[in-house]
Amino acid sequence: MKVTFPHLGSMYIFCKAIAEEAGIPYVLPPPTRDRTRELGEFHTNESVCLPLKIILGNFIEALEAGADTIVMVGSGPPCRLGLYDRTIKVILSDLGYDFRWLTIPGIFNWQAFLQNHDETRELRKELTPSNFLRFPRAVMIGWRKMRWCEHLEDQAARKRAVAQNPLEVERWLQSGLAALDQARSLPAISKVCRQALAGLAQIREHGRRPLKVMMVGEVYTVMEPTINMNIEQRLGHLGVEVKRSSYFSSHIRRGSRLDRGLLKERRQLMELAVPYLNYDVGAECNFSVAEMVLAKNMDYDGVVHVYPFSCMPETTAASVLSTATTELGIPVLSLPLDRKDMGLRLDTQIEAFVDIMQMKRSGDLH
Amino acid sequence: MESPPVNRTVPVHLGIDVGSVTTKMVLLAADSGEVLDHVYLRTSGDPIRSIRRVMNRLAEDERHFEVLAAATTGSGRTLAAKLIGTDLVKNEITTHTLAALTIAPDVQTIIEIGGQDSKIIIVRERMAIDFNMNTVCAAGTGSFLDQQAGRLGVKVEEMGDMALASQSPASISGRCTVFAETDMIHKQQIGVGRNDIVAGLCQSLVRNYLATVARGKQILAPVVFQGGVAANQGIVKEFEKQTGHPVKVFPYYGVAGAYGAAIYAAKARGERPPFQGFELLRRDFSVDSFTCRKCEEECTVLRLYREAKVISFWNDRCGRYSEAPKK
Repeated sequence: MKVTFPHLGSMYIFCKAIAEEAGIPYVLPPPTRDRTRELGEFHTNESVCLPLKIILGNFIEALEAGADTIVMVGSGPPCRLGLYDRTIKVILSDLGYDFRWLTIPGIFNWQAFLQNHDETRELRKELTPSNFLRFPRAVMIGWRKMRWCEHLEDQAARKRAVAQNPLEVERWLQSGLAALDQARSLPAISKVCRQALAGLAQIREHGRRPLKVMMVGEVYTVMEPTINMNIEQRLGHLGVEVKRSSYFSSHIRRGSRLDRGLLKERRQLMELAVPYLNYDVGAECNFSVAEMVLAKNMDYDGVVHVYPFSCMPETTAASVLSTATTELGIPVLSLPLDRKDMGLRLDTQIEAFVDIMQMKRSGDLH
Repeated sequence: MESPPVNRTVPVHLGIDVGSVTTKMVLLAADSGEVLDHVYLRTSGDPIRSIRRVMNRLAEDERHFEVLAAATTGSGRTLAAKLIGTDLVKNEITTHTLAALTIAPDVQTIIEIGGQDSKIIIVRERMAIDFNMNTVCAAGTGSFLDQQAGRLGVKVEEMGDMALASQSPASISGRCTVFAETDMIHKQQIGVGRNDIVAGLCQSLVRNYLATVARGKQILAPVVFQGGVAANQGIVKEFEKQTGHPVKVFPYYGVAGAYGAAIYAAKARGERPPFQGFELLRRDFSVDSFTCRKCEEECTVLRLYREAKVISFWNDRCGRYSEAPKK
């Protein structure tokens, strides 16, 4: 058995840690490249959204590299993401790959439990008692790594906007994440992360107050830099601090329904969208709207809304945001993302957006 | 001692807009802000050559211009900035806003349709507050009109008058260039006149623009129309009809981006690196690109040569080349 999983930002660090610690053989899909994208585009319908294409590409490349068991997160309709696991499964079978499939349910309920039970029937036979015994520690290590990883990314986003040379931030972040990925114990994890934080802290700052934006939109697009064309970095290098709406850990915590506080927070957030949208469109649509209101309440300078071209819930959100921007007086940049060669156009739009926020704040471009 | 001949120079601010289809230049007098010269020429896929032609025109002018500050804009702005040696690089959305605000301070909506791009910029109280750009499709931009003009065997410049002459515009789908073309061929085959087809095309272009680019944006007068396509009176009239607002087209509409860049250059404070634009006339410059395979980003890195020697790199996300110490 060789397990594999899709790329989603730095989630691979989490998945890899669990597999490694529990002694389960795994194959890390090669980093998302042009080839990944092309594979995905070739084997899907043209109008399918970008995340599906890229995840499919990840899986094909992982299967080519010797994986035989795919672990994928599931969620529910109405978004197509809810049918991702099923669609991808069918495409891969049609392509003639031999593999087993395991869905990690997006919400833990009876139905999910039964499906899980069914899917793991074969897999369980291949796991040794040692794998089971080591699993709790593996999850703990993985979880700790993920939380640190997100903290580092958060700090990097903050620092990028104020650093004299933002490229230094990228170097510290990359080396920090690489070291975190290698660390094998809790003390080692904290040590390498503290080093990376110290590295980030000593980078010289230019002293100007950065613009702050909230990045909202479809989960996968918000979290995966190869899909959102590194928008966090691009904005950061223009002196903008980006606060992400989606973190992998918060999705797990939400899905597990263990943290009551988080669920309550979520319900309150949803209330914010009501003046603009009082029907639950599904997926992250209502949250994108709610987070925009939140950004306004928290005095952010703007909102960047990213979503895959043809994404139904977020296209709906985009038209709501476009109306709300005048009412709330907070600039919004809506970016439907599709192809890779849009870099230049993206820069034009981001730069213009930064100019608008700058003008709004100081009445001057310089 | 004999004094050297008095060489009176005119201090100017320069704006260059290197677009996908055309290259534009505007020269502003440093003291009055008056437009001293402007150029509009086809880029023809060779931005270096078109910038060189602009520089040639500047150098040959008898007024002896002294460029105090220069700014570049348009999709070729980075390359142009490297070539003329300036650090003032501005996106075309902002430069178009600057131009419109200078000409019409009370402007509230800017429509800009260029070669490959179409944009809407919403301005309130002399500040841009929102904008949108066409996303994945070039339907309804200048190059589409250009193509169709070629197919109909007319000049793109004539299309405006043809459209105005039409009594009953043909109905043409404007959503997609491919479908629009199919529609046009069909209309031609069944005997619809060329004027009516061109008018239908203008109508569908405006409809497409309002339904996609301007979707959800509040269009308020005064509306200013800029970019090369504003030359087409058929489209201007169609915009007026469909938005219900008078649409203003000012002189310099075609070079508005460059005009805005020149204004931006004029407003810039602080020390500027020396203007090197005229170097282009004396020495040979060329540019090429390669794909870096050092990581999964696979950036297309651009390389600028001066007489076979690499003088600059850019477009690498990690700074491996652009940040490397110069040899």
